[in-house]
Amino acid sequence: MEILDKLKEKFEILQSQEKRKDLALVGTTEKDLIPLLVYLKEYEGYKTLVMISCVDWIEEGKFELVYNLWNPSKKHNILVKTKIDREAPKFQTIYKIWPQAEAYEREIHEMFGVDFEGNPTQHEELILEDWDDIPPMRRDFDTLKYSMEKFGEREPKSGIIIRKQISEQYDEWRRK
Amino acid sequence: MGKDKNYFLNEKPEKMTYGGVFRKINDWARARSLWVVAYGTGCGSIELRPTFTSRFDAERLGMRMVGTPRQADVLIISGYLTVKTLKRVIRVYEQMQSPKYVVALGACPINGGMYYDSYNAINRLDLYLPVDVWITGCMPRPEAILAGFKRLQGLIDSGKADGWKKYIENLDWYRENQRKIIKNWRMPNYNW
Repeated sequence: MEILDKLKEKFEILQSQEKRKDLALVGTTEKDLIPLLVYLKEYEGYKTLVMISCVDWIEEGKFELVYNLWNPSKKHNILVKTKIDREAPKFQTIYKIWPQAEAYEREIHEMFGVDFEGNPTQHEELILEDWDDIPPMRRDFDTLKYSMEKFGEREPKSGIIIRKQISEQYDEWRRK
Repeated sequence: MGKDKNYFLNEKPEKMTYGGVFRKINDWARARSLWVVAYGTGCGSIELRPTFTSRFDAERLGMRMVGTPRQADVLIISGYLTVKTLKRVIRVYEQMQSPKYVVALGACPINGGMYYDSYNAINRLDLYLPVDVWITGCMPRPEAILAGFKRLQGLIDSGKADGWKKYIENLDWYRENQRKIIKNWRMPNYNW
């Protein structure tokens, strides 16, 4: 594909694939990512940032950031990927290139704990108010255990569904 | 809660004006004009639109949606409830005027439903708010919702829908449960 060949000449491409007629995938290094995004925006017409997502590769010890761009005149999507360190995840913000990236980065910061340097609002709570654990979308977060500890048991362990009446619970609490 | 005292109920009200000579007549009238807060917490609110519009037409039972909690009698918890929404729901509930009733739709408020292992959705609603009628299903169809409201009307008629009284009597117990998951009671500033 034409665009992939062009990118291979200019940047260090680790992985490239034509997924569909309207979707291509490019993996690059951490250093080359932002120049590549700027190149795609300014010279190739990929004007729109559709979304940013994050993948947790816990076995490799890496987070993968995926930037999804859209070219409205050619009707073509491109996914630009890069892997960053999982222990102290840190990356540069791109909100000065696309202002809408601010919200996506804020969400990734909340759900995965990636620190986007320079993003002014990433420390504000988006969905999780009063969060007190490791970021919940990391794969080493045990969501069932957290739910049981914080919100209580779903059903009694015996398997028979006998729910203690709330009024009994009031009485028990008053006796304490 | 400190300076946020205007947002949430801080102490039990001294006097509850309910009962008296005309209680039965009042209850009879109340059961026939239930006004519902137009507030959907989860996916179940999609079933409330056909319930309240022309096809199933809940207005023939005297029910309609109102836009403010001050005028409403019924709060519908429609589906899963996240921690963030719970704080808003408690605020809405405490702004409503007594007598007030809570109806919980779907499996999620009962035991977590399909979100029982979610890090963000609560498992049992009745630890945080008093519920008068549960309507099961995922999601309940409008017919089930109407049947649930008929049941609520029967409870109000016979004076058994007293969740709001229990909430005031056991406010400390409810607050203790709410405080386990809501640490920060500040509300964001919505003056955009």
